[in-house]
Amino acid sequence: MSDEVVTAAPEFELESVAGGAMRLSDLRSDGPVLVLFVAEECPTSALTLRRLGRLVPSLAAAGVTVAAVFEDPLEVAARTARRAGFAATLLAEPPPYDVSRAYELSSVPTTVLVGRDGNLIGRVVGWDAGALEELIEEACGAPVAVTQESPMRKPGCAAKSTYDAQTLRLLDAGSGQDELEEMFERGWTDGLPVIPPTRERVEAMLGGRDPAASLGEVPPGMGEATLERVAACAVLAGCRPDYFPVVLAAAEAALEPAFNLGGQAVTTQPVGQLVIVNGPVRDTIGLNGAMGALGPGWRANMTIGRAVRLLVSLTGGGFPGRLDRAALGQPGKVGVCVAEDEERSPWEPLHVERGFDREQSVVTLVACDAPLSISDHRSRSPEELAAVLGWAAAGAWSTNWWPLGTRSVFVICPEHAELFRKHRWDKRRLREAMFTAVRRPAGELRWGETTPHVERARDEEPVTKWTSPDDIVLIVAGGEAGRFSAVFGPCLGMNDEIISREVRWTT
Amino acid sequence: MDYVSPFDERRRTPEPLAPRPDELRGARVALLDINKRCGDQFLDRVEALLGDHGAHTFRLVKETFSKPAGPEIIRRIADRGDLAVEGLAD
Repeated sequence: MSDEVVTAAPEFELESVAGGAMRLSDLRSDGPVLVLFVAEECPTSALTLRRLGRLVPSLAAAGVTVAAVFEDPLEVAARTARRAGFAATLLAEPPPYDVSRAYELSSVPTTVLVGRDGNLIGRVVGWDAGALEELIEEACGAPVAVTQESPMRKPGCAAKSTYDAQTLRLLDAGSGQDELEEMFERGWTDGLPVIPPTRERVEAMLGGRDPAASLGEVPPGMGEATLERVAACAVLAGCRPDYFPVVLAAAEAALEPAFNLGGQAVTTQPVGQLVIVNGPVRDTIGLNGAMGALGPGWRANMTIGRAVRLLVSLTGGGFPGRLDRAALGQPGKVGVCVAEDEERSPWEPLHVERGFDREQSVVTLVACDAPLSISDHRSRSPEELAAVLGWAAAGAWSTNWWPLGTRSVFVICPEHAELFRKHRWDKRRLREAMFTAVRRPAGELRWGETTPHVERARDEEPVTKWTSPDDIVLIVAGGEAGRFSAVFGPCLGMNDEIISREVRWTT
Repeated sequence: MDYVSPFDERRRTPEPLAPRPDELRGARVALLDINKRCGDQFLDRVEALLGDHGAHTFRLVKETFSKPAGPEIIRRIADRGDLAVEGLAD
């Protein structure tokens, strides 16, 4: 800490990330204020935000307000603070950086302590663990440990207020950075390149809808799903504006409390959200339910599923390795969207089973693990094929976890479906045949981890893989040739329900 | 370039931590079982240890581990307890 020449802290009024302007006098109305002057491109600023960010709750408990003043635009301030885990008041200072000048900054970070009376109590330039600990003790009136990790001292970068006019003009002209790379910099991605959500693209996606209207909060981080943010996710994912009604219906379904997106988003399981689309919208926007239906290759399928996942991981904060604690994850967590091939199906489509009219366009969300392919080119009777399909799911969750305790979604390919059509098997008959076929004596399941049901059962007691035939969900999709069906892995223990929402075309 | 952020950029002020008690003797400690396997075994051990330190314990069980605790459980912990221990397990 150096001796301070000026005793009264210069008053300022700056835009806040939380909305509206904020004055220093507002900040110090409850007690002393620790003001961190920082800049996004300065590594020492990032280190200071990370390290002091951990102390914000302790400082708040001691009655000290913490605020960061960024020599950057608001959105840059927000994203830099988020990356650093710095949750306190965030203010943005525009060029020509008059506040920095008033505080006579030479470099960032500079940390300034302002007393409740408005006087400057002290300042620390750069990262200096010892000096910051003294400053914070003075603010709190009691010691608060500042990390002793290396480096203990690190100089900062020149404050932008010290730049000459020519350098400032160059900065104002933009960095010339590739905007696709900038999306990665901002963290607006799932790891793949995205379409930058310019205001023009987002407005086109919204199609006249109210950008501020809200679908509710997105778990697990409870970011609010304004239509503007949902549209930003749809743009990032690569959706065309005509896909947006489907994205909106999927988002509504995902946010239904009975879907328990919060549980799905944070679990160590590799659960993703399978989006199934039925009804006329499939043709209208070119969703694929035929050859290669589970992807890749079709823009509508790939981008709608991805938009839902970006909503969860960005707006909802359920990003892998952060709030998303999936041990492994799975490729389907980038997004999976499939259209049911109602025209080739011998059965009533999924949405009709769930109470909608055939002419309604409906999105159905199911919590699912990755799909497993089921090859069978030789079964000649529906009984044989039903058993093959059912037994493919015998190892779902684990080989010994019987009954599964949740549903399995089967995607039946047209050639397999044709065999059941020929023998006039309806969905109920197929479900019951699959349910009945897959059973084993409890004694054979009692090793490794097993279910409480198996633990209690007698050795010879048959145990079924599912609790009921109703746990078997059937849709038809896939190429006209090739006897490959699939079963999606389960999501367990989430008390989640399948949720369907009608696609609404009106704005 | 003017982009629309997919993030909810509002910052929320973290709730300050409750004051830490000086000792466990006489404290009322809520033991919350989140309803995962083996959570009860873990809390049995914690309960015995707390008893050795003179704390009074009471047990609660969440309906399911996969959803946040309901307001009724939180109210019961706040009304009856000085401290709470949550048993995450598997």
